[in-house]
Amino acid sequence: MRRAWRQVWLHLGVWAFVLFSVYPVLQVLTTSLRPGDQLYSTELNLIPDNWTFDAYRIMLTEKPFLLWMRNSIIVALGTALIGVVLASIGGFALSRYRFRGHGAALQGILMTQMFPATMLLLPLYLLMRKLYLVDTLGGVMIAYVATALPFCVWTMKGYYDTIPVALNEAALIDGCSPLQAFVRVTLPLSAPALVITGLFSFMTGWSEFMVARVMLNSKELMTLPLGLESLFTTYQTEWANYAAGSLLVSLPVVVLFLLLNRYLVSGLTLGSVKG
Amino acid sequence: MKILLRASFLLPVLLIAGLAVSCGRVDHSRRVILWEQMDPKEQEEYDRHLAGFRAAHPEFADFQFERVHYRPEDLQTQFQTAALAYGGPSLVYGPADKVGVYAIMGLLMPIDDLLPAEEIARFDPQALPIINDKVYGLPDNVGNHLTLVANMALMDSIPDNTDDWLRQLRETTIDADGDGKPEQYGLVFNLLEPFWLVPWLGGFGGWVMDEEFRPTLDTEAMVGALDFLKELKDSRVVPLECDYPLADTIFMEGRAAYIINGPWSWQGYRDAGLDIRLAPIPRVSETGKWPTPMTSAKCFSVNAYLNEETRACTAALLEFMTSTRVQLELARSLSVQPSDLEARKDPYIMQDATLRASRDQIDKGRLMPIVPEMRAIWDAMRPNYQSVLNGELSPDEAARRMQQRAETMIKRMRE
Amino acid sequence: MSTRRETRLAFWFLLPSAVVLLAVVGYPFLYNIWISLTNWNMFHFRDPSWNNFAQYGYLWREMTDFSGASDFWRIFLKTFAWTGINLVFHFVLGLSAAMLLNQKLPGRTLYRALLILPWAVPQYISALTWRGMFNAEYGAVNLILAKVGLEPISWFSGEFTAFGAAIITNIWLGFPFIMVIALGGLQSIPEELYEAARIDGAGPVRRFFRITLPMLKPVLMPALVLGTIWTFNNLNVIWLVTDQGLPADKSHILVTYVYKAAFFYYRYGYAAAFSVFIFLVLWMIVRMYNRVARTEAY
Repeated sequence: MRRAWRQVWLHLGVWAFVLFSVYPVLQVLTTSLRPGDQLYSTELNLIPDNWTFDAYRIMLTEKPFLLWMRNSIIVALGTALIGVVLASIGGFALSRYRFRGHGAALQGILMTQMFPATMLLLPLYLLMRKLYLVDTLGGVMIAYVATALPFCVWTMKGYYDTIPVALNEAALIDGCSPLQAFVRVTLPLSAPALVITGLFSFMTGWSEFMVARVMLNSKELMTLPLGLESLFTTYQTEWANYAAGSLLVSLPVVVLFLLLNRYLVSGLTLGSVKG
Repeated sequence: MKILLRASFLLPVLLIAGLAVSCGRVDHSRRVILWEQMDPKEQEEYDRHLAGFRAAHPEFADFQFERVHYRPEDLQTQFQTAALAYGGPSLVYGPADKVGVYAIMGLLMPIDDLLPAEEIARFDPQALPIINDKVYGLPDNVGNHLTLVANMALMDSIPDNTDDWLRQLRETTIDADGDGKPEQYGLVFNLLEPFWLVPWLGGFGGWVMDEEFRPTLDTEAMVGALDFLKELKDSRVVPLECDYPLADTIFMEGRAAYIINGPWSWQGYRDAGLDIRLAPIPRVSETGKWPTPMTSAKCFSVNAYLNEETRACTAALLEFMTSTRVQLELARSLSVQPSDLEARKDPYIMQDATLRASRDQIDKGRLMPIVPEMRAIWDAMRPNYQSVLNGELSPDEAARRMQQRAETMIKRMRE
Repeated sequence: MSTRRETRLAFWFLLPSAVVLLAVVGYPFLYNIWISLTNWNMFHFRDPSWNNFAQYGYLWREMTDFSGASDFWRIFLKTFAWTGINLVFHFVLGLSAAMLLNQKLPGRTLYRALLILPWAVPQYISALTWRGMFNAEYGAVNLILAKVGLEPISWFSGEFTAFGAAIITNIWLGFPFIMVIALGGLQSIPEELYEAARIDGAGPVRRFFRITLPMLKPVLMPALVLGTIWTFNNLNVIWLVTDQGLPADKSHILVTYVYKAAFFYYRYGYAAAFSVFIFLVLWMIVRMYNRVARTEAY
């Protein structure tokens, strides 16, 4: 009986959250189905009168949506991969090894986030120009990695801190080099943290706008956020298309999350329990 | 073994980096690039005319032409950033007040350096952005003016003075079920932006600045204009909180008798099936003056660091896009007024109903100043104007604050 | 403590990150310090000249102007309020959601996917949609309030209500992030610990505060510290929801103010000095965190 009540409360709680999270997204959906380019409506229905999938059709066929998506995938995946690699090794170094300047490194990584980003863009552009990285997807990727790194490094470090050193040392005693110990023992145990790092880096690369705006000028290189923004003009905006585009843009993220979800559940269940 | 492991780490990283770095390297030597903030229809027109240009100028056949679209705020920042690095597009298209800013920053090449004086003489001198006696842009249309747009399904005639108009507004605001929320409004417009305040400022006899570009906001005229708008809001003929998208939506749904909006929006209303008519904003009954919406031109400007190789082509393109013929076509498709004096004499321009009504309003309007002081003035007006509408400030106090704030910001900008 | 070999490995492990960060952030940061010492504005755009600490002088003037003309302190306090309130709700909601979704529930995966939507949908349209929902007459929020029998609020006509609207929007946008992190962290808490506690007679609340929270700390700390910094410097949400500072420019926080100075008034030198100030403020906040938290991060 008590268990049943518990289930009821659980479900109610979850549904409260679901409602909160989903309702505004439904509004976006409504905008995307509405004919004509109206952001707001005085009607309340979820499905507007004369609803139409036109916006989706236009986005997928008349706009270079797939081109934008290709670019975004390259950038986001690249950012995720590089980010995960750099953060997993950087965080490890900061977690396991106490060297001179350890504290400074930690603080330094944090400090990179403190300066308002808008003012950093201009010098960044000038620097990238000198390196011939302006108007390339690689340049954008590097900038995104730098944006995502601090959080990823700190997260990996925090996670490594919870993995007993004894496990590492056991591997070392067995004859592994530090590098092998890292790859064979520590990494698999940090799967949840790697997932978070990967997801976060991917999101940084997927949905960021300001840096892409400054760095990319060619039409062929536009990423999804840039593509969506191109639907804006002084006053008239293609709201329906924009809403449709936004929802299409959100889908891969949700799919990615679903794919990675099961890795959020590993960790100690992989059988490395101490004792 | 160790080296192998290390290498396998770096390989995917290098691969992706290499891929990304190499793809997208574009060659800018024979490219004429335009950065713009056009509406979709304007973009279409440009592309169409570009094709015409290429057909008419086979000598530039090996040039590439590119058009990059930006949001207005972005275009400005982007252009500044790129120009700082001596890069950026060949041409920039935007409203004349931005041209003023770019010119002062030293980012633009005077048109006088690129095209002969006879070419420049073609244009209405009022529409040319001139800073320190040099012309920095060539406009291809004049307009951007707020006009009264009436939904003829909801009324018979359009009054020409505010007393009659207010009466009509009250009649056309209908709250049938008495729930405090009218199903139909007399008037909708963007209540937040001072751009909609300025016409009334003129209607009460004032303006935003004097000939020396000093702000003139603390005036009887401003108080009068603010009073008038407060009255409009209090009589509930306009919605409580009305921003641009909401005003647009309500009018499109056929639930407002009037909207005050600019040329970029008119066709959209027609496309939605509304029977609209354009008219000048009604004369202010107290003063007998016509409200003066701001008019501005949209211009092509040239990057000061124009790539030498593209100079001739850019000049030719510039001339073509602002030529009499193209302006006439723009007028036809976009219902904008030409800036070319010859084009204005064209019979179509003189007779088309929309263009005529539009010109009626333009004639009563006033040119928007392109000096950077304007930025400070907008910024000073906005919050205080909003406070008046909220009931937080009295019009007198608001006018005083506007003036103070504008003067302070102008001083700061020059520090 | 570490062997030579290990130190070498540590060096190589940290090198790529250091290079990237120094290039992408370090260089612009130093550049900005340089800018803040010049008179760079629209009239000296191509040829800014050395101005010593004049820009900082202007900032000081702004800070010490108590005549009512300067909004500095209002904006300053607002920024702290903005950050604090957001963080509290992000964590409370994020943690609650994570704990709920950690339970064995049918359709759990679906729920997780739905709850991640605020993070997945592009921020721009979400912010604008929320702005629409807060419209006094037609917005969904007021309609719901009316249905429940409460008075509808003119959100954007009042300073605090507009601020509240922005906060609510940002809470919606931010809690899934904490939820995902907490979910990851919850996975590594061994079930045995809970069992032992249950046997010892500890109730759910006790278990939460004695087991869950401490074990989540290492994973949540980065999110907390960085979340503070990010929220403090979050320009987009306020800008979009309040339409550049509604009502009447009263909804600004420090970063939006900097943005305006730079991109509306072209006072780049001033904006750079102001940014350095923001940086120092955040640095002090983080130092305080370290002292108070005294986590094993150090």
